[in-house]
Amino acid sequence: MRRLENPVVTWACIRKVPPVMQKFSDLGYPGRLIAVEGLDGSGKSTQIFLLKRWLEMQGLKVFFSEWNSSALVKSATSKGKKQNLLTPTTFSLIHATDFADRYERQLVPLLKAGYIVLCDRYIFTAYARDVVRGCPPEWVRGVYNFAALPDLTFFFKASLDVSLARILENRPTLKHHEAGMDLNLSPDPYESFRIFQGRIFEQYLAMSTEFGFLVMDANQRIEEQQGLVRRQVSKHIDLEQFRPTHAA
Amino acid sequence: MPRSKSAPKERVSRIVGSSVLVPKVTPKTFYGHGIPDIDANHLTGKLIAVEGADGSGRSTQIARLVQWLEASGHHTVQVGLKRSTLVSEELEQAQQGNILARTTLSLFYATDFADQLENTILPALRAGSMVIADRYIYTLMARDLVRGVDETWLRNLYGIALAPDAVFYLEVCPELLVQRVFAKNQSLDYWESGMDLGLSRDMFDSFLQYQGLMRDTFRRLQQTYGFDIVDGERSPDAINAELQSRIEAVLARH
Repeated sequence: MRRLENPVVTWACIRKVPPVMQKFSDLGYPGRLIAVEGLDGSGKSTQIFLLKRWLEMQGLKVFFSEWNSSALVKSATSKGKKQNLLTPTTFSLIHATDFADRYERQLVPLLKAGYIVLCDRYIFTAYARDVVRGCPPEWVRGVYNFAALPDLTFFFKASLDVSLARILENRPTLKHHEAGMDLNLSPDPYESFRIFQGRIFEQYLAMSTEFGFLVMDANQRIEEQQGLVRRQVSKHIDLEQFRPTHAA
Repeated sequence: MPRSKSAPKERVSRIVGSSVLVPKVTPKTFYGHGIPDIDANHLTGKLIAVEGADGSGRSTQIARLVQWLEASGHHTVQVGLKRSTLVSEELEQAQQGNILARTTLSLFYATDFADQLENTILPALRAGSMVIADRYIYTLMARDLVRGVDETWLRNLYGIALAPDAVFYLEVCPELLVQRVFAKNQSLDYWESGMDLGLSRDMFDSFLQYQGLMRDTFRRLQQTYGFDIVDGERSPDAINAELQSRIEAVLARH
């Protein structure tokens, strides 16, 4: 047997130590990533939408990405959810696949191109949900450790009752996984949803200090919150850097 | 090596008596935390993984092993890559388009694996069946490793996997593999040639280099996971005899 020598790939180029989690700014990317996290019904999507509009109006380079939205993975995820095929492990992995696809094909290239990337949910959503579903926290964090941390993370902290009321008044039928019915917390979807969201809320609170979330009082008026969000963004990010450069 | 030529009838004539060996239940372990709420001690079946490149004789050998195991009175269940209900179609589509970056592809395969682990492998083992895996996590890890994916990351990811009772890697040198592939197919497969790695624009060259890297990686993984490297360059009969005697030893193990 002849041994083939390969000049391109060697074992030496494969990292042995897991990377310490760093922000995109620490890694020297010209772009910045801003994430919003919080329970369903905390108003985070409204806030990130208004932030996006504000940045766009100023003519800045902005891109918006949503959790669970990779076209490729979506059909598998919705099939899994509809047919109730998902276990805590596959639920976690399929969302990680979705995230990785967006991360590798959109987020990283855009951040290298100097965009402000806005993410409606980031890895913390997985940290919270998968752990509540029973996956070990170290494993979940390990799976996602290919991703850098956001430069800014807003956590919209509404009281559990307010979040629940907002969701339950708009959408009377809860989806199976959304209500956490796969956890057998209660045969009643509404009761199950309450318990499930309560546990996710606890996970967010525990992560809040660890990851330096900017905690927003989501019980405030929309305008008050948006004012704070815009001030924080201006304070932490030099927005002038994100004007498009046009060839003369 | 066409699939249709596998499993010759004379194999079965070796089984004469009506006595059926009841394999001893041996302790099983997961590589990491495993699957929530699954106790490895309740898994009474045996998990046997066969690894090897396309053209290594894997399918032929597996078909023969299944025949032999069933003839010996063991209920046998087969699993393999890209066979999950959950993501197999989507994974196939993604590969056809060649649009996935490496971490995504890796996680997609891990999802496919996890789905089969939870819905097929573990229930079958709990029921006391023999599970033959037509490739297992080692092929997935080796493919990712040659693409520069972090090994620690992979170990954590596959901490969900059950350690098999036996793993056989059918080793065939790249030069012979390429001949066997051409004896069966008209052309080389894009992924089996590692074309996404950019080793060479020439597909033949790339195939040889890629398969060489895969073999080196398997040898390296063998030192960690301690599986059996089987010389796949011999006749199908000789290989099958070796696999059977090794599996017999596993079944008789206390």
